[in-house]
Amino acid sequence: MPGFAIRTEGLKKNFGAVRALRGVSFDFSEGLLHGLIGSNGAGKTTTMRLLAGLLKPSAGSVRYSLDGRPAEFAQVRPGLAYMPQQASLYPDLSIDEHLQFFRALYRLDAATYARRSKELLGITRLDKFRERRAGQLSGGMYKKLGLMCALLQSPSVLLLDEPTNGVDPISRREFWELLYALAADKILVIVSTAYMDEAERCSRVHLLDAGALLASGEPRAVLKERGAANFEEIFIKGANG
Amino acid sequence: MTGFDLHRAWSVARKEVMHILRDPFTLALALGLPVMLVTFFGYAIDFEVRDIKVAVADRDSGPAARRLKEIFSASGYFRLLETDGNPVEMLDSRRADAALFIEPGFSRDALAGRPARAQFVLDGSDNSKGAVMMGYLPGIQRAAALRLYGSEPAPAPLRLETRFLFNPELNSRWFMVPGLGAIIIGLLAILLTAMTVAREWENGSMELLLSTPVRPLEIIIGKLAPYGLLVLTGVFFVYLSARLVFGVPFLGSHLLFLLACLLFITAALSQGLFISVVTRQQQVAMQVGIISGLLPSMLLSGFIFPVESMPPFFQYFTMLLPPRWFIVAARGSFLKGAGAAELAVPLLALAGLSLLLLTLALKKFKTDLEP
Repeated sequence: MPGFAIRTEGLKKNFGAVRALRGVSFDFSEGLLHGLIGSNGAGKTTTMRLLAGLLKPSAGSVRYSLDGRPAEFAQVRPGLAYMPQQASLYPDLSIDEHLQFFRALYRLDAATYARRSKELLGITRLDKFRERRAGQLSGGMYKKLGLMCALLQSPSVLLLDEPTNGVDPISRREFWELLYALAADKILVIVSTAYMDEAERCSRVHLLDAGALLASGEPRAVLKERGAANFEEIFIKGANG
Repeated sequence: MTGFDLHRAWSVARKEVMHILRDPFTLALALGLPVMLVTFFGYAIDFEVRDIKVAVADRDSGPAARRLKEIFSASGYFRLLETDGNPVEMLDSRRADAALFIEPGFSRDALAGRPARAQFVLDGSDNSKGAVMMGYLPGIQRAAALRLYGSEPAPAPLRLETRFLFNPELNSRWFMVPGLGAIIIGLLAILLTAMTVAREWENGSMELLLSTPVRPLEIIIGKLAPYGLLVLTGVFFVYLSARLVFGVPFLGSHLLFLLACLLFITAALSQGLFISVVTRQQQVAMQVGIISGLLPSMLLSGFIFPVESMPPFFQYFTMLLPPRWFIVAARGSFLKGAGAAELAVPLLALAGLSLLLLTLALKKFKTDLEP
């Protein structure tokens, strides 16, 4: 698996008068599980879309590197998978039909598809529901299907925008176990979440507040550096201070 | 990543077919609505005016006056209302559309072979109805001359022989139905595409699609092809309705007509695509689709009002409207037996407009989520 890393420098994004990102520098180093933590409106989705090449920065830059060498977005794109926050699957298509559709978009050969889909259906435990349509899946199953579609092509970079939003606690835990397994495969995983308790599950956290970076680093080190017992405290202090 | 990948376009098309087959509403809309609307409006829209109420003031009451009234009644267009009062008052109160005055001496003059005069007064407040009524009068006059004098009126020194080709009975339904089909099919194609692409934007699936290697042209072709086929099936039903329900003759080439249909459908689908790419919202796309698809094609395509009688600016403007060219091709194919030479201009215009609209849609199709 090639080692991808993403760095941003002074990243800004404005939507008219709204300043969604105010000059943020991130370091998403390779093979780790990064958490982009922040409340609603912090700029998480904008960051994800900028990283996925779906938005253009108003200022600053997004730099990709491959095995330590600078890479163009076009080089990264085939290995980049993105799962949007919004429910973006087709409610009238079954799990199997979704996988078939994304297989065709990624041009996977039959053998790779058979191996990969079996593997993914197994680890997500959705193999018994292959015929079920996306509109009839539970919230957790729906998110897992989204993740499967993103993972079908065996990506090197995985961007997940609030994947556990609105998912019950048990499904959330299952989902995180899946992410650990992916990070163990040296995939660069970037997950955004508004659930502060999920920050501690990441190997690196990046705390975003109102478009600005509050703190960044290994979760315990960030808590220690800020003298906070938990991540909520950091945001509350940030808001008051 | 580079170039057009037919396999990916095919997979987008296959997905779209699944959506269509699983959505009975879309299926019914595409297949049932055109034929239903064409049949319904084909019966309703009729330029012929019948049951014209004529207030009659017969101050002669002789045999020739009676014959004249019989001729009016027998034409099938007029219903005579005898009145002792003033017929003009009946026109004022809209109880009558016209008035017939037969003065004393009418029968005496007619039977003696002298010119006999009667006056026919029309309500000019509805000028289109009045013009149609005027059109019926020469026939009545000829029939009356034959019955009362045994011969047609003496020919004037200069006489224009008029004869209607292609639609000798001037059956307005033959004229209307092909045009009506064009308008309904065009509107349907615009709305179906506008809605389907806007839906992808609205529910977020476009965001997911754009993050995959699929390219805009593959999405566009994959989206348009199934709806093109669907609308073409709708055209076939409209064709059957025109032929079997309204008895419209088809004198042209089916192949050329099919080509015109394909080009027109491509233009309409591209227009819908352009709308959805710009609006990105189903509600707005539908409103823009209806306004841009219905009004110009109803009023400026030559469907009702001849393009030639419009001011010069509008005559040029109508050249940008695909329905204008398709109506020419459809009427030419159905009623005039038009061949390749006659249809060359409308077909080329449709091809040009399809290409233009498709290019515009492609140019506007963003590969990112920038507002």
